[in-house]
Amino acid sequence: MLTFQKGDELAFQELVERNQSRVIGLIYRFISDAADAEDLAQEVFLRIYRARKTYKPTAKFSTWMFRITANVSLNALRSRSNRRDDVSIDQITDFGDGPRAMPDPDSRLPDTDLHQRELQEKVQEAIRALPEKQQVAVILSKYEGLSYADIALTVGCTTMAVKSLLARARDNLKDQLLLYIRTGRGRQRVS
Amino acid sequence: MPSPCQWVRSVLAAWLDGELKVSTAEAVRRHLEQCESCRAHARLLKESWRLLDEMPPAPVRSGFTGRMMARLVEEKELNRLEARLEPRRRRRQVVASVLGLAAGLILGLVLHTWTGLPEKPKRPIEREVSLNVSFLEDADLMDEIAVIEAMDRLMSDNQPDEGV
Repeated sequence: MLTFQKGDELAFQELVERNQSRVIGLIYRFISDAADAEDLAQEVFLRIYRARKTYKPTAKFSTWMFRITANVSLNALRSRSNRRDDVSIDQITDFGDGPRAMPDPDSRLPDTDLHQRELQEKVQEAIRALPEKQQVAVILSKYEGLSYADIALTVGCTTMAVKSLLARARDNLKDQLLLYIRTGRGRQRVS
Repeated sequence: MPSPCQWVRSVLAAWLDGELKVSTAEAVRRHLEQCESCRAHARLLKESWRLLDEMPPAPVRSGFTGRMMARLVEEKELNRLEARLEPRRRRRQVVASVLGLAAGLILGLVLHTWTGLPEKPKRPIEREVSLNVSFLEDADLMDEIAVIEAMDRLMSDNQPDEGV
């Protein structure tokens, strides 16, 4: 980043090359859409490019990058939920537990795949149901393996606050996913 | 004062993440050895956390860097155009402001001329003066009439008798 800050444009290309999978991966954890994740990752790198002159290397570059990534992802989620409020009835494909939600008898998907997909959806829902800060803390802790101190720097709060955020988040996740632990549907893959 | 179970449950997540001091972590471990209920709670937390591994990683398409750099070139080009357009845009704004002001002034003038201002009612003193002026004008007229009559009289007195 420092080389790029001095005006070396090739260093920016190197920076993109080196961090793209982390940025795309992180956004994908928030929004679960690969195409949108790539568009938003481009937005993250553009923001980094624009902010090159004001960047101060007081914290780790990755912390700064994760903060931008989390902000871009949360903004996208907010605008998505606003759009969803305006959605027309023609666009709604999920009709809940009515007859259409019955399993398709001709489906060739094996049971294990169905369970796997259902479980993934439930996990996704459980993460989405968390308040924004808890979501960020969970994603950074679980999928990026960040320490509480690094999450605190990224989110802009104290380590104690992260401890409390993650304690509440894990309790919430446990409540949301309880069925999948007890029925054994999730347990097959849990050691 | 929280009970030992309440305290342990409040730090269980940090304990599972290995974020507690050694002495605190040891105290939690000792409590869990004795407390079945907290042990069950810890197991649920651990297993629900593991379920998050079921989420697949993001599929990254190849060629991202190339697409990113192309977008950066577009962005730079846009910025360059914006910078070139900026003085023109500012000039256009000034011209538009001046024209707007001029149009307003002209419209005001036209409306003023078209409607005209209503005649102000005369104040009492002005009415008095006006009456006096008209009286004086009448007096002058009377004087003139008197002079004419006097002249007529003189002329008829001085005229020779035609029949003599």
